[in-house]
Amino acid sequence: MGVTILQPFPNLENKTGPSIIDFLSKRVIALGAQQVGHFLVDCETYTSVPQMSVQPKVVHVLHNSEHPASVFSILETGTKQIALVADLLFDLLILKMTPAYTSKKQTKIESKGPRFELGDFVIKLGIVSMSQTFKGVMVEVEYRPCLIPSMCWDLIREFMQGFMGSHVTNIIPPYFTTPSMMAPNQNKQNDIYQPIDTVQQYLEHFSNYRKLSNPPIMGMRN
Amino acid sequence: MEQLNSALISIKVLRSRVGQVFETLGSGIRLEHGEEGRETKFLMELQELLNAVNNNLRELESTTNGLTPAPFNLGNTSYLSQETTQERQALYSQLVNSYKWIDKIHEYSQLATQVLSGNGLKRSYFNNSNKRRRPLTSCHNVMPHAVDSILNNIDRSLSEMTIKVWRPFATNAIVHVILGRVLKAAFVFKGIMIEWITVKGFDENFDEIDDLWTESRHKVFRNVQNHTHSAMLHFYSPTLPDLAVRSFMVS
Repeated sequence: MGVTILQPFPNLENKTGPSIIDFLSKRVIALGAQQVGHFLVDCETYTSVPQMSVQPKVVHVLHNSEHPASVFSILETGTKQIALVADLLFDLLILKMTPAYTSKKQTKIESKGPRFELGDFVIKLGIVSMSQTFKGVMVEVEYRPCLIPSMCWDLIREFMQGFMGSHVTNIIPPYFTTPSMMAPNQNKQNDIYQPIDTVQQYLEHFSNYRKLSNPPIMGMRN
Repeated sequence: MEQLNSALISIKVLRSRVGQVFETLGSGIRLEHGEEGRETKFLMELQELLNAVNNNLRELESTTNGLTPAPFNLGNTSYLSQETTQERQALYSQLVNSYKWIDKIHEYSQLATQVLSGNGLKRSYFNNSNKRRRPLTSCHNVMPHAVDSILNNIDRSLSEMTIKVWRPFATNAIVHVILGRVLKAAFVFKGIMIEWITVKGFDENFDEIDDLWTESRHKVFRNVQNHTHSAMLHFYSPTLPDLAVRSFMVS
């Protein structure tokens, strides 16, 4: 369990998802990485049934193939996020809660693709898709030996710039400059990295993708 | 012999050509190229040189192809190849191969003895010379409290490090060191001499106090472990054992 940085890869030339993945995996393999299986991160969002005088709450339920026995759920209350890590049974529990929480099936979003290992690095190239429509490409880089993000950010940055070029910024992603959950008086970048941090980064990017482009569905117009 | 000579000559030519290429590349665009279209002129020049290099390389290849290795003869054993039974016919070539390997091993071992004799890594006082020397204080046989006091001193002087001492086996100490939030290490002491070091990541556990043989999951820390082992040998000094431990910890 190490520090993971998530980086969306911009789709500049209007290429298809698989061709970008091909392009990136060629570069990663040229660096000497070996493909070790695939990965999948998916996110489903449930909203509470609207009631009078109560703002609807949103629960995001995420699965990460790196932690196959856990379900991550993040409750948004409007002012803050409450994260919960549970066993797989949580999936069944949330199905039982349909009177209170309903999911919109077409908002299910996932990132899926090959997983590479290079020394102590793990590289995951994922195609982000929402209900079968392609949204973009996200690259996840994990450096396993280190636990404190600020200590290894420079190393990860250099490594990412090595195969993604200047799309990677020199400053640490804004997620890490917010105060930490466990110790409120220090930033996340100086705290010990947890699996939920990966999931929260995914959620952040997923909601960006959702907001960014909701292609109008032509059939609905008339 | 002649062929060998010509091959050597062509190697020389090739090397000087390549040298020329790098020289022109290094000096870049010069005055001779004039003002107009100097870049294209420079590129042309470079192209010519590279072509010449190509030609030389081809020449070299053709001459080396002409070279045939001298027949390798092992005296009477070469009659082995005339063996009638089928399964023994291959014996001779195997013999030649093993002969070549033994030769190589011989060469390497000679080199190794040269290097090793230059860098003594002795961890004991036994030596072959019959010279009389004063009896030395042993570093294998030290009272536990002396070891403790040395370790405590080190612990106090290095603020980033926490040190825990265990004694699962009688007097010899096993020391667990946690360095910041980066790594953990276990040292096995024999008296005041460091005998073994295991390095692991901060997220990995030493399951038992004497869990010393499992290596770290991460390549970085396995490399660090290798380096600590060479440092351990480097800093070892039989006459001043506590100095050795101290300088090891600091570095």
